[in-house]
Amino acid sequence: RLTSQGLRRLRCSVEFLCRPLKQPTWKIQYQSVLRFTTSLPDFIAEIQRDSDAGSVMSPAGCSHVNGFKVDNWKQNLRVIYQCFVWSGSVETRKRKAKSCVCHLCGAHLNRLHSCLHCVFFGCFSKKHIHDHAKNKRHNLAIDLLYGGIYCFVCQDYIYDKDMEQIAKEEQRKAWKLQGRSPPSLMHNVVQLRLGLINLGNTCFMNCIVQALTHTPLLRDFFLSDRHKCEMQSSSCLVCEMSQLFQEFYSGHRSPHIPFRLLHLVWTHARHLAGYEQQDAHEFLIAALDVLHRHCKDDNGKKANNPNHCSCIIDQIFTGGLQSDVTCQVCHGVSTTIDPFWDISLDLPGSSTPFWPLSPGSDGSVVNGDGHPSGATTLTDCLRRFTRPEHLGSSAKIKCSGCHSYQESTKQLTMKRLPIVACFHLKRFEHSAKLRRKITTYVSFPLELDMTPFMASSKESRMNGQYQQPVDSLNNENKYSLFAVVNHQGTLESGHYTTFIRQHKDQWFKCDDAIITKASIKDVLDSEGSTHKRTQ
Amino acid sequence: MFNRFQFLFQTNTSREKQMRAAINQKLIEMGERERLKELLRAKLIECGWRDQLKALCKEVIKEKGIENVTVEDLVAGVTPKGRALVPDSVKKELLQRIRAFLAQHST
Repeated sequence: RLTSQGLRRLRCSVEFLCRPLKQPTWKIQYQSVLRFTTSLPDFIAEIQRDSDAGSVMSPAGCSHVNGFKVDNWKQNLRVIYQCFVWSGSVETRKRKAKSCVCHLCGAHLNRLHSCLHCVFFGCFSKKHIHDHAKNKRHNLAIDLLYGGIYCFVCQDYIYDKDMEQIAKEEQRKAWKLQGRSPPSLMHNVVQLRLGLINLGNTCFMNCIVQALTHTPLLRDFFLSDRHKCEMQSSSCLVCEMSQLFQEFYSGHRSPHIPFRLLHLVWTHARHLAGYEQQDAHEFLIAALDVLHRHCKDDNGKKANNPNHCSCIIDQIFTGGLQSDVTCQVCHGVSTTIDPFWDISLDLPGSSTPFWPLSPGSDGSVVNGDGHPSGATTLTDCLRRFTRPEHLGSSAKIKCSGCHSYQESTKQLTMKRLPIVACFHLKRFEHSAKLRRKITTYVSFPLELDMTPFMASSKESRMNGQYQQPVDSLNNENKYSLFAVVNHQGTLESGHYTTFIRQHKDQWFKCDDAIITKASIKDVLDSEGSTHKRTQ
Repeated sequence: MFNRFQFLFQTNTSREKQMRAAINQKLIEMGERERLKELLRAKLIECGWRDQLKALCKEVIKEKGIENVTVEDLVAGVTPKGRALVPDSVKKELLQRIRAFLAQHST
């Protein structure tokens, strides 16, 4: 028997399936994924499962190319591309101009094709090349306009991996000769790179927007239109984000001008308003906060407990930070768990001492691995973040066990990890005496295991199970890097850029409206003020 | 008189063909054809023509079914409308470019 809540849920999922398909193709993909899932956690779990399965369209080759792929076929094919399809040099262009006409009717238009097995050019539209193929039993031809390979047996264009590779290389070569730079990489599927125009020191916003739009789960949420807006006015940031995502993934190439987003952020986070340079990290937190507030309306029911919101922002970004305060006298532990959206890490070189000066230590600088020198790593910063901190005699805590103020130690660990973890390196120091930027290089890995920093790991360490061997089969706490935000310059004037990962190992640098390909080395060598990782 | 008219007509078309072939050769040799193609591509995206064609293609795909559709189906289904949808302004601009090029390189 369906309860009223169950009925509403069912109606929602059915309504979704029946929505008219006037949107682009990717919607169809996502609708089929959603099927009968009703709750957000289930939806997320399904997307996570499917995103690893990785549905990439596999190019359809055909078996009839095997007759062609003999002897020196690769070189022959290259010559055909160079001479007749993408002629880069003056000589090849002259030759192309003279010889590329139909052998039967002399026309140079009509979708001219060249036979791959012999020197014959024929019109496609007038079927001259078809006649040739039939008479000579030459099954393959190449389109001289676009370089596609046509198989007369399959009666369609085919996409053989090896031949596609050659085609791409020859096209690049020709472009280089002509002094043209190839357009930013286009895969067969949707183009996923969109620059953002800088509206006057808004690079702090642009870099975060780039990172957010490439967050897989957030992208999936917005592209499947899960947000049902209950706000009357057009001031819902979630709606604006939704529009932004849809434009990002629509395949448009011209850079986006985020003036509406900027206006909404001004309206809802007044402390960011104005054209002065702002902090990207502050923007991230403010944006997540506003999105979270506007998202709460999605559940229909007002969340009774603000700590247990189930909006998409909380599902993806919220983790739980455990704080244990241990009384030094009675050893009673008082534990609190606070939600967090990011982990802000202090750096060496700041005015707060970096290395733990626990009683007894001689204060010599040794990093986690025992090496006296070497770059600070992200793991070092995390170790520092989760080390027990002696609070000192000037900061005594009231102990409920001792019923008096006692000295204590405090330790932070991760109770619950978010799906997307944001690490913020505190490079901007704003203390009473100075404001400066700390430029110490911190190295960070592509893969990060958060297990040593978990509350559960600390508990097992305390229970005497020292140095649990890292269970490499358990992926629960493992993260992989997908976005890095960098700040170049000084505290007063600087510029933000973002590195974004796509698919498994392709990285791009987003500098406002300019998107360029980047190598993994570029990413790992960068300063990294904010990183985002996903499980 | 009727025959003479026909004869004149035929000569003109073959001359037209010759001219077209010669212009095409020149365009390819000087690399201008590639540049014109790029210009045309940019213009057609700008004016939304490419999106219109995409929509037309999707209709063809829906009709034929995504498993069975061939490039030929798409070409046949989309070409006539596609040609008609090219804005006059784009045609004019391209023609102007070609005229200017020919004026520059007339032998």
